[in-house]
Amino acid sequence: MEGIVKKYQQKFKKIREEMNRWDELQSRLISQFRNASSIIERLQIIQDSKNYGSLISVGGIEVAVLRKQLESLQAFLLSMKKTVEDFHGIVLCLEKIHRDGKQLVKGGSNQLTLKQLQQRVGVKPTLADCLDGLMLLHDMHNSEYALKVSLVSALSPLAVKPSTSDLGSLQQLLVDQPNIPKEEVQYIFEIIFAEEIC
Amino acid sequence: MDTLEPHSPYISTKSESNSKPEIENRSSSLVSSPVPPPASMLRLWRPAAQRNLRNQWSKMASYRQQWISASSNGRSHATSLVNSYLSQRYMPSMELGVLSDMPEIRNKACFKLCKQQEHHRSKLLSSYKDMVAVVNYMVNISRSMRCFLKGPSSSPLVQFSSYSEDVNDTGDGGGMPVFVFLSVAAFEKLSEELVQMFELELNLKRLLVVELLATTCETPQVNRFCWSDELYPGEFDDLSICNLYSKETCEPIAPRLSNCNSGMPARSVQYHDQPNQEILQVYLTTWLAEVNIDTHRVNEIFAIIGEEMHVSIS
Repeated sequence: MEGIVKKYQQKFKKIREEMNRWDELQSRLISQFRNASSIIERLQIIQDSKNYGSLISVGGIEVAVLRKQLESLQAFLLSMKKTVEDFHGIVLCLEKIHRDGKQLVKGGSNQLTLKQLQQRVGVKPTLADCLDGLMLLHDMHNSEYALKVSLVSALSPLAVKPSTSDLGSLQQLLVDQPNIPKEEVQYIFEIIFAEEIC
Repeated sequence: MDTLEPHSPYISTKSESNSKPEIENRSSSLVSSPVPPPASMLRLWRPAAQRNLRNQWSKMASYRQQWISASSNGRSHATSLVNSYLSQRYMPSMELGVLSDMPEIRNKACFKLCKQQEHHRSKLLSSYKDMVAVVNYMVNISRSMRCFLKGPSSSPLVQFSSYSEDVNDTGDGGGMPVFVFLSVAAFEKLSEELVQMFELELNLKRLLVVELLATTCETPQVNRFCWSDELYPGEFDDLSICNLYSKETCEPIAPRLSNCNSGMPARSVQYHDQPNQEILQVYLTTWLAEVNIDTHRVNEIFAIIGEEMHVSIS
């Protein structure tokens, strides 16, 4: 039993690493998103030649500035797509950890009873705690990944029909990560590593 | 933009061993031989030319990086300047809350913002100066691609330099490939293409600098710059090196885009005394966009050169 708990704790350590990588990707995605949305915000202004002041003496400047900005916007959208794919990689990894975790108690010969699953030894987590934790963490990240996919795809249409308030709320959602409540994540890890905290 | 002597890029690039027998008789007779130079000389010339090109292009790559940092510094100074200017402009209508009871608060704030703008203006100007210097270096590099024989070729110790001492010495090894495929002229062509982008961009940035420096809440016409003014002592000399100064009109040439030859004379520009927020945002966006620098092409040029020289430069 204790051996299995140790194995689970190993898995949670792995998850923690993956979550650190998630955080890196998150800040990358936010900065890409900010860059893209600030271009979108000024698209209308740069399309109006009366906003060019003295620059209007430079023939073709509006077209050139617009073209360059659209190029950068496209580059940002593309790199966001890539970042979202990297998020998916993490979700797949968490899924695998979860699946392997289930195997530990349900696979083959070592079928455990419900009682065994809920048996608590000292401050150590029960096996049920471990299983629930793996499942929850995977679910959270999976839903958050789905949200990010839709946020990023919502951005391109805004380039055609910009709305500052929409951009703002999209960005807020992106930053907040509503599917990954910090306290809950912390709570899970506190139960799993209770002995280390004591 | 062919400013250099015309040389067809690929003339008689037969391998040197082919022409050897013929040339060996000649090397004893005359020094000022027409192209192609004697093979024995080419054998010595080639490594020297390779060394020179490697040097010049690695410098070019480092100046490109310096441009990027000078341009980005300039942009952040310009942004600060614009922000400070707009704060000052909107000061009268600004909601100050409890602060509004303080005597003279608006005037004091405006005074402070004015000081700030002065600071940002001088910073912006110095970033511009950095950019001019970078482009000057690039122009010089692009004119130093050739490798000339130094001293009499009859001397036992053959030396090379970047200056031509003999009108017959074109410094390009008779147009033969320096490394694998490209002749000196081909290297020059690529560097000219590259440098021209930066020259045009510098010129456009100058217009932005003039406009941003002129942006002020103070009573207009107080020592404000216009296009024909020298922005810092010696600027016009620097601009002449970059082909951006017209001796006929005695002012910098009007900015234009790389794909567009007809820039209207900058003189016809009507200056906006107090450009609004949108105009200022367009100025900042234009600064950022670097419309004259085709980044893909720049990378491509450095990739071509790097591959040819078997070194990675970027």
